[in-house]
Amino acid sequence: MKANETEQQFLKLAKTVQTDERVPDGFAARVMEQVRERHALETSSADERFLRFARNLPANEHVPYAFEKRIMAHLRELLTPDPLTLWSRMLWRAVAPCLGVMILAVLFSADTSDGQTAGEFETADFETVMLASFDDLEYTW
Amino acid sequence: MQATETLPETDVRTDEELVGLVVGGDVDCFEELITRYQPRVFGIARKYFRNESDAEDVVQTIFTKTFQKLSSYKGTAPFEHWFMRLSVNTCYDALRRRRNRPEHTISDMLFDDEGWHDRMGNIPDANDREGLDEARELVHTVLGQISDRARIVLTLQEIEGRTIREISGITGWSESLVKVQAFRARKEMRAAVERFLMKEKRL
Repeated sequence: MKANETEQQFLKLAKTVQTDERVPDGFAARVMEQVRERHALETSSADERFLRFARNLPANEHVPYAFEKRIMAHLRELLTPDPLTLWSRMLWRAVAPCLGVMILAVLFSADTSDGQTAGEFETADFETVMLASFDDLEYTW
Repeated sequence: MQATETLPETDVRTDEELVGLVVGGDVDCFEELITRYQPRVFGIARKYFRNESDAEDVVQTIFTKTFQKLSSYKGTAPFEHWFMRLSVNTCYDALRRRRNRPEHTISDMLFDDEGWHDRMGNIPDANDREGLDEARELVHTVLGQISDRARIVLTLQEIEGRTIREISGITGWSESLVKVQAFRARKEMRAAVERFLMKEKRL
């Protein structure tokens, strides 16, 4: 029974000993660093690494010498009218008045005709033209 | 001694004031707008075009378009937003036009000294111009393998960190279309990177 008593006493003593909960300095940070590294290794697939790489590359914002002058010269050239463009624009503008004059001329000529219908006139002319070669043949033989 | 110092009056004109002057006929004021925005525009153009002369052409087109469309700027939103939208759209149009021109292939961009994976691990120093140029070449090579739409969305969202709403505003696409395009872009990019790695492993 003595041995049993000793065991009980030991257990009692063991229960009274407080647990040592002291933490080394920076332990959490150290662990988290390892966790992050592990996580990065597991999750960083090649495409994510590529994107991270592309994202962190600084943009190349170098401007060629006097580039703004070049652009301004180009714009001034655009603002100066081209003679051919001006000429074609004028031609297009002249289309409507020309059409108007043409219509007026047609109306005027129709109005001043001498009563002979256009159909008859055309038929006579057509016949003369068509038979002109045969008339020439008669004279030859 | 005076208790309060009067601040020197700045004669810096706002973008909107300059736009008003240019539209009013003072064309020379446009040069100030160019000077103000050209570094950013070059930064944008170089994200989409590897070749320096291509980037210069696009920047010139952007400014010419801006000048021609300046009268359509209503002033309801900041000029910067309107201008950035026009810039990105012009880059997109230029990308589509030059699609038939050959891009660098993956094998052009394989390094002898170190692997692609190692290069991605460290960004070159800001003073290391050669290193930065090589890094940009690498980015261009991968992005050159994906479609134009995907490239635009990926650059705006993942590289510049813009929101879906902002991208929608810039591109003029609906927000849902932007989301769909972003998903596809990610998929295309993943495939391009995998192809890159496969090629490297084989050598």
